[in-house]
Amino acid sequence: MLEIKCPYCGNRSQNEFAYGGDATVKRPELNTEVSDQDWDNFVYYRKNPRGNHLELWHHISGCRQWFKVLRNTATHDIIQTMEMKENP
Amino acid sequence: MSKISPLSNSHELGIHGNCKNKDQAKLLAIREITNIKIYQLSKFKKSNFDINNFSLDSYKLPTESGLSTGNENLRIQWQAPNVWMILSHNNNIIQEIERQCEDDDFAITDLSHSRAILEVKGKDALNIIKKGSPLNLNNFRKNNCANSVYHGITVSIDMVNDDPITFNIMALRSFAGSFHHAITDASLEFGFNAI
Ligand SMILES: [Zn+2]
Repeated sequence: MLEIKCPYCGNRSQNEFAYGGDATVKRPELNTEVSDQDWDNFVYYRKNPRGNHLELWHHISGCRQWFKVLRNTATHDIIQTMEMKENP
Repeated sequence: MSKISPLSNSHELGIHGNCKNKDQAKLLAIREITNIKIYQLSKFKKSNFDINNFSLDSYKLPTESGLSTGNENLRIQWQAPNVWMILSHNNNIIQEIERQCEDDDFAITDLSHSRAILEVKGKDALNIIKKGSPLNLNNFRKNNCANSVYHGITVSIDMVNDDPITFNIMALRSFAGSFHHAITDASLEFGFNAI
């Protein structure tokens, strides 16, 4: 079981959180020509790295805020958590 | 018109569980809190309203995470950044809230009939929460509150008193039955008085 530090509530059990996917994926710009390949990459393709990974998490049973987590997928170490506007 | 509280069918009054040879006056007491007004106050991002200018019965909105304030009739809980929950036994509290809150600054949502609330009072109250919630209660004091889970049910936990230890635990009304079962099941080993 992980202990995750919510930037707003502090250290809480993983039970209170929901995983929200890869935080590095960027949606294609609005009102621009987007190729099928770009949509494909945005919707389906993920890097799935072994090592440090920037993720979105949702404190669903807490303050209900979204935030970013820098986590090592091999060791499960949480290196850093930050608000959505921040970067590691 | 009769009002049906969320736990009116579950909360059976009387002594339950392991209370042989125990002083009934010192037993854990569990009570459903009924007839309470609940409002969620959410300040808009674009608003410049200074929340220090808002108060109810001279209690201000807590600005720090995990804090609550109030008395027996009024609780104001920090829920998230710029979101508070106001619980009051005063039926006219909404008028006082609306008097101080402009429509451009706050979204006010009436949640009065959508929550089931149990008050757990007594020296074993802390153990009841520990049995079902992963929340770290080592530094939990009076006027601390937190949203967490209790046996998988999302709850708001508010410590309203420390002598005797008293917690208000609030869950969605639709979970009232399982929520009540989870709390009372955890209380059976200590014995409790449902009041
Ligand atoms: Zn949180």
